[in-house]
Amino acid sequence: MTEQVTEKDVQLWVGPQHPGVTGNMSVQIWLRGDTIQMGRTHVGYLHRGFEKLMERRKFIQSFPIVCRICVPEPDTNEYLLAAGVEEIAGIVIPEKARWLRTLALEMARLAATLQALGGQVGMMGLGTVPNWTYTLRDYILDRFEELTGARIYHMYIVYGGVRRDLPEGFAARMEEDLRAIEERLPFIDNLIFDNAVFRKRAIGVGKIDPAWIDEMGITGPTARACGVPRDVRRNSPYLVYPELDFDVITAEGCDIFARAQVRRGDITQSIRIIRQILARMPKDGPYCARMPNMLHWTVEKGQTYVRAEASRGEMGYFVVTDGSDKLRRVHVRGPSYVHAVSLLERMLPGTNISDLGATMVSMQTCPPEIER
Amino acid sequence: MQTTLQALKNQFTVQWEKQQRADLHQVGLPREQTLAALTWLKEHTPFVQLTHMSVVDWIEEDQFQITYLLMNPRSYDLLMVCTRIARSGATMESVHKLWPQAVTYEQEMNEMFGVEFPGSPRQGESFILEGWEDIPPMRRDFDTVQFVLDHIPDRPGRLSINTREFIGRKVGEKRLLHD
Repeated sequence: MTEQVTEKDVQLWVGPQHPGVTGNMSVQIWLRGDTIQMGRTHVGYLHRGFEKLMERRKFIQSFPIVCRICVPEPDTNEYLLAAGVEEIAGIVIPEKARWLRTLALEMARLAATLQALGGQVGMMGLGTVPNWTYTLRDYILDRFEELTGARIYHMYIVYGGVRRDLPEGFAARMEEDLRAIEERLPFIDNLIFDNAVFRKRAIGVGKIDPAWIDEMGITGPTARACGVPRDVRRNSPYLVYPELDFDVITAEGCDIFARAQVRRGDITQSIRIIRQILARMPKDGPYCARMPNMLHWTVEKGQTYVRAEASRGEMGYFVVTDGSDKLRRVHVRGPSYVHAVSLLERMLPGTNISDLGATMVSMQTCPPEIER
Repeated sequence: MQTTLQALKNQFTVQWEKQQRADLHQVGLPREQTLAALTWLKEHTPFVQLTHMSVVDWIEEDQFQITYLLMNPRSYDLLMVCTRIARSGATMESVHKLWPQAVTYEQEMNEMFGVEFPGSPRQGESFILEGWEDIPPMRRDFDTVQFVLDHIPDRPGRLSINTREFIGRKVGEKRLLHD
């Protein structure tokens, strides 16, 4: 116990099945009245030893593992594993694969952001918005199913490129979905940002001190809601992002409301990016480099760190190879590792217990990427 | 980046360095100088943010590699600082006073690899595992298959497929087994 906690304080475990927790994770809190004195994040409910499993499998066999590290947005994990190994092995992917990978990543960001925005207000009891946003997310999952054969775990990005080209008529069907999302967005705006309940529970709640951003390594929408334009797509561009026109959305409040504003802006930017990709992508050309037999492929000794902008912030993979046919070590650095443990524990003292769930969800916590 | 690297080399013994990408440099430092170098980097260079910490088990060389990834939040350049420590009685200085989020990394590295970080606040507290009595599970000599065989009973009637034989029948034994 630290100085701010006394024996008279009430200890309470929130989770791992609490609706305010975005996955199986617990927060142990010490309460005085209804004010949290101290909080401690506990994980371990989803640990399956993904990093260890990858050390025992051939390179290609790691894709069904990494996509499970974040259920709402698996494609970032697939991309980072592929990019890390390709960098060490010196593999250059074809031009069309760069566009198709960016498309998959942006579709995943859009689907995950819709889910997160709905989840944010849904946990405050405003059930209409998640009904809409989850339906809209399902439209994107329909396109994923068409593109990859799977709705959730796509395993679309592989070493050398992607598994397949766009199906016939994909762009037209995607455009229909994007229009459906755009038509619904004004209603969503009205029901979130002009809603007295949401404003009262979000403005000035879950504040982050901008000084913590560099100190703690805060990234993505959580940093951008403090006015810091931190976005890997712009700051350290990869794939075809340097060729695309998009804005890095920021807000100023540093609170739950500002983080929701950033997510809402991200939806518009993702739609904009997807349209540009479908309009400008090369029609022909290979979508995967010629690769050696995956059952016998060995990669020279090396190590690297690759990163990409997931919907929650910077996601990174530390990849180590040793010249064998298996990964020597993979360490996943998900944004939730910092946001939901160190940052959340720092934010909680002084918070009202009724704001705990909203604060946690506002950072789009994804527990599997903490424990892997 | 080059200015920082040169200053680092002037002040400390850089054992090796490598430019992995335009935005990622790697350096190797002796264990005794690592904490001083990290403190210097945080206080005197733009590499103020700790993005990542990790351990690699080089069991053949009886060493652990501890990796610190620092970022310059203005240029987004990355500097990977690597150091090696002995595997037996593995101990490393904590950096939690430089970066508060290092507590979580050090807690996990202690649990998963058995590396001690004296003075780090949550050493010995379980992060993911509860009641673990075996050797730290991320060490290379921890056998996951044996652990499963020892602790998880086989369900009667379950059909097990030898993947190697199954794929071998599909693609042809000679092609699969020629390694």
